[in-house]
Amino acid sequence: MSLHKNSPFLVLLVLSTYALASSVGGNLTASDSADKLKQSLSLSPAAPVVVGVDSTVFKPGVDSLFSLNLLSSFPEDLEISDYCSDLLHIFGQRYVAYVNCLVTAARPVKVCQNCFSSYGSLMNIYTNISSDQMGPGNVSCRDSLLRSDHLMLVYLLYSNMEDIWTKSACDNCIKGFQSLTNDTLYFISTLNQTLTCFEKYQQGNHTELCKDCKNAYRDLNELYSRMETNLTMCIDIEDSMNMTRRLWSKNFNCSFPREETVPVIAVSSFMLFLPIIFYLSSFLHSEQKKRKLIHPKRAKSYTTLMNIQDKLS
Amino acid sequence: MANIAKKVSWSSRAEESGAAGERTPLFNGSEQPRLSRQLSGGGSVFQIGRLSTVDLEEEITSDEDSLRGRPKEIPHNEKLLSLKYESLDYDNIENQLFLEEERRMSYMGFRCLEISRWVVCGLIGFLTGLIACFIDIAVEELAGIKYRVVKQNIEKFTEVGGLSISLILWAVLNASIVMLGAIIVAFFEPIAAGSGIPQIKCYLNGVKIPRVVRLKTLVVKVCGVICSVVGGLAVGKEGPMIHSGAVVAAGVSQGRSTSLKRDFKIFEYFRRDTEKRDFVSAGAAAGVSAAFGAPVGGVLFALEEGASFWNQMLTWRIFFASMISTFTLNFFLSIYHKNPGDLSNPGLINFGRFESDSGAYNLYEIPLFIAMGAIGGLLGALFNVLNYWLTIFRIRYVHRPCLQVMEAMLVAAVTATVSFTMIYFSNDCQPLGPEHNEEYPLQLFCADGEYNSMATAFFNTPERSVRSLFHNQPGTYNPLTLGLFTLTYFFLACWTYGLAVSAGVFIPSLLIGAAWGRLFGILLASITSNGSIWADPGKYALIGAAAQLGGIVRMTLSLTVIMVEATGNVTYGLPIMLVLMTAKIVGDYFVEGLYDIHIKLQSVPFLHLEAPATSHWLTAREVMGSPVTCLNRIEKVGTIVDILSNTSTNHNGFPVVVQVTGSDEPAKLCGLILRSQLIVLLKHKVFVELARSRLTQRKLQLKDFRDAYPRFPPIQSIHVSQDERECMMDLTEFMNATPYTVPQETSLPRVFKLFRALGLRHLVVVDDENRVVGLVTRKDLARYHLGKHGLEELQVAQT
Repeated sequence: MSLHKNSPFLVLLVLSTYALASSVGGNLTASDSADKLKQSLSLSPAAPVVVGVDSTVFKPGVDSLFSLNLLSSFPEDLEISDYCSDLLHIFGQRYVAYVNCLVTAARPVKVCQNCFSSYGSLMNIYTNISSDQMGPGNVSCRDSLLRSDHLMLVYLLYSNMEDIWTKSACDNCIKGFQSLTNDTLYFISTLNQTLTCFEKYQQGNHTELCKDCKNAYRDLNELYSRMETNLTMCIDIEDSMNMTRRLWSKNFNCSFPREETVPVIAVSSFMLFLPIIFYLSSFLHSEQKKRKLIHPKRAKSYTTLMNIQDKLS
Repeated sequence: MANIAKKVSWSSRAEESGAAGERTPLFNGSEQPRLSRQLSGGGSVFQIGRLSTVDLEEEITSDEDSLRGRPKEIPHNEKLLSLKYESLDYDNIENQLFLEEERRMSYMGFRCLEISRWVVCGLIGFLTGLIACFIDIAVEELAGIKYRVVKQNIEKFTEVGGLSISLILWAVLNASIVMLGAIIVAFFEPIAAGSGIPQIKCYLNGVKIPRVVRLKTLVVKVCGVICSVVGGLAVGKEGPMIHSGAVVAAGVSQGRSTSLKRDFKIFEYFRRDTEKRDFVSAGAAAGVSAAFGAPVGGVLFALEEGASFWNQMLTWRIFFASMISTFTLNFFLSIYHKNPGDLSNPGLINFGRFESDSGAYNLYEIPLFIAMGAIGGLLGALFNVLNYWLTIFRIRYVHRPCLQVMEAMLVAAVTATVSFTMIYFSNDCQPLGPEHNEEYPLQLFCADGEYNSMATAFFNTPERSVRSLFHNQPGTYNPLTLGLFTLTYFFLACWTYGLAVSAGVFIPSLLIGAAWGRLFGILLASITSNGSIWADPGKYALIGAAAQLGGIVRMTLSLTVIMVEATGNVTYGLPIMLVLMTAKIVGDYFVEGLYDIHIKLQSVPFLHLEAPATSHWLTAREVMGSPVTCLNRIEKVGTIVDILSNTSTNHNGFPVVVQVTGSDEPAKLCGLILRSQLIVLLKHKVFVELARSRLTQRKLQLKDFRDAYPRFPPIQSIHVSQDERECMMDLTEFMNATPYTVPQETSLPRVFKLFRALGLRHLVVVDDENRVVGLVTRKDLARYHLGKHGLEELQVAQT
């Protein structure tokens, strides 16, 4: 709504866009009153991804929007078809479901394992919306939903989710939105072995833990580095590995100790000693390079001197 | 240094007359200042000591005669001029052959020449780019292998113990790779040692450095630089790139290789010093532009270093060569990085992109930058002074090739040892970044998933270290790590420069500067309560790098542009310029730039931009060499051969005179002929008698002179029979009939200007009747320089 302030010279265009957008909202709220609150929240430009916000804050705004919308109505051909508004509705539902899932899986990160199916369905519906195939009644929802205003809210919302998905590299762990890949499952099982081992010794002596769980931990590490090079890794695996490493190194203190200070110092001081010997010996034994001076032929100096005397006198 | 020979003081500073007596012991009694004269104007004493020894022959006593028998020997020092360096013949020899050829040449011929100049420049750029690409890939691959081997070893021994073995492995690997590089340099081509920039500077100044632009030098240089960078020395590969470019230029423009004995029969017109030197400047520019991805910087480098001879068209051609070189490199590197066709990957050293928002700077930071420039100037001066003493020591005591190889190996081993010790005792652990800036992260005693921060600086090729100092996130390095790194790397780099390996000083300087610059940035952020305004330590790393480099090499215009181009951000122009200016001013207060120091230490007769100040009172008469060996216009072959064979006077130019009939006076000047021309004439036996007997004999052409260029045979290889010695030679056609002359009263700065601006090699001094009285050459001019005690004179020595 700040569009009005920002670009007063485009008032006409913006006005019509605004009206169209609100009429979409109005239609939706009118057609489906049960989902009204939820939907307008998720579609509200002010809070596209925020889900956990108290809904009462937005309630008056939505109401006033609704009452305003009643005043203006557009001719038939400008409004979106029922088919499209249904699509939009489903999009909203799935969007909410995915975001809900993401939030609960935020820490420790399990966004790929837990939410891949909801992302799959979200992607599905978006593909439907954005495909240029004609739906029933010869309407394409791509233009009316995605491209009729410059905010392009649906696109914006979706691309946010897509960013999250690509950033977390979930594709590497998911097989066709059906299940986790075998690599991932194997990793999870190895990880669980290691963690059970940790749990077994957690209470007692940490040195014992370091010794007994070392094999499991090393296998896990090797598997991880293999997956790292194969690029079959997603954020879930990375994060769980990070946590395990931190447990191992920081909590249980199983890193390698610095033990061989003496031999290292001995060897390096020997090395540092060598140049001193070299330079001393070359100073003492190498003969110094001498340069032979050559006296270039010059004009007889006394002529010069005479000349200067002449000049002076 | 007590054994540095006494310098003759030319200053008008009043000196006690007793001072001469005090100095006498230094001269071993042989060189007592013979003449000291009282001038008007405050009783100042001039000591014109050395000048007199040779000339006052009638005064020499028998005692001194015996002393003169053996030449005086002194230890090498900076106040010498070496005999082995000669001048280039930049000035055109306008003899009759030349005029004739020019007359014969058609309009089309000149057009073709012009076009072939462009073709040659394009080729220079292309080949230089290819060489840069080869060096880059070779270094990357070989260093990759080395670091992987060492890393695996370290990882293994971290677990089971025995890290000292890794240390030895690393040291031995380094030393053996460097040994390879040092052997080829020390035994096969010593001129390929160092960065090559001093040599190219001298070449562009007009000094012919023996073997500097040979194919062999190029091969040794390229292999040597790969060895020394892979061997982990504190060196870069950028300086050698400039030398390589110059060699490529000198080779390509001649259309043949004397070393390979192949003559492609092209570009024959360019076979003389004038043309070759123009192309060499283009080659140097192409080298710079390949090294830094800075085409404009390359052109400016060529102009700054060879500034006396250029015109618009030449500059434009140089720019063409630079551009071609950069983009050849980019193209081939894009193929190597499996991204063919991407031309935007700049230079051998890639500073990476400085994002404009993180690297923004503000007015209040300018004083800070200037302060950093001053620090850079101080540190640079310290670097240069240390390196100066080290180099003197090396020239005097470490001059045998096997000693040089051993020294290089020791430096390599110590570099590895110091690096390892630093890494071993460092407690600075940082989490691995997601995008893996660290090529070879070493974990050592850090927690899993973290790496040793010291290792990113030491366990890496210097270029990558520079890049990570510029671009890593704030907080990647802690101040202690950076401080220690700066300290050790400063001394390592200083120790390394001047070894008998081919290696440049650009990258180490940048690295030192980047380290303390980053430290500076971090400290700024920590002392201010609101750390956010000093957010980006990478920016300070860049400024520090510029300051340090400027403090060491003291280049101004070209370095600014190179830095700006290498960072790819014009907005840094102002701070970098200010920083370089400050660094130069502060540094010059203490000592000269590193390259100038090395030029001096090599005893090169280098002509600076201007004659030394306070030298106007010196006239050509004092400066010139006299008496001059002259040739008659029609001279006996025997005389010429004798003159040329005389080893004690290795003259290169001979004034040609006509004897005024029936007088004893010196004859009048009518031309100038060079040794190289005489040798070609002798070789082709262009004698008057032979020409008469064989009327059909082919006339000698300019081509015959060009074919012998640039390696004219020595006089000993030319056989002249006893009969032929009696023949006569007519030099009229071949001599330069209009040599530049000056009267005896011309002041030194005036002579100097003529030399510098026209690129002269010989300047004949004549009296008012056009009789030759002396000859001024480069060494006569270069020996004067302004020292701490006024005007000083350098001595000529055999090296």
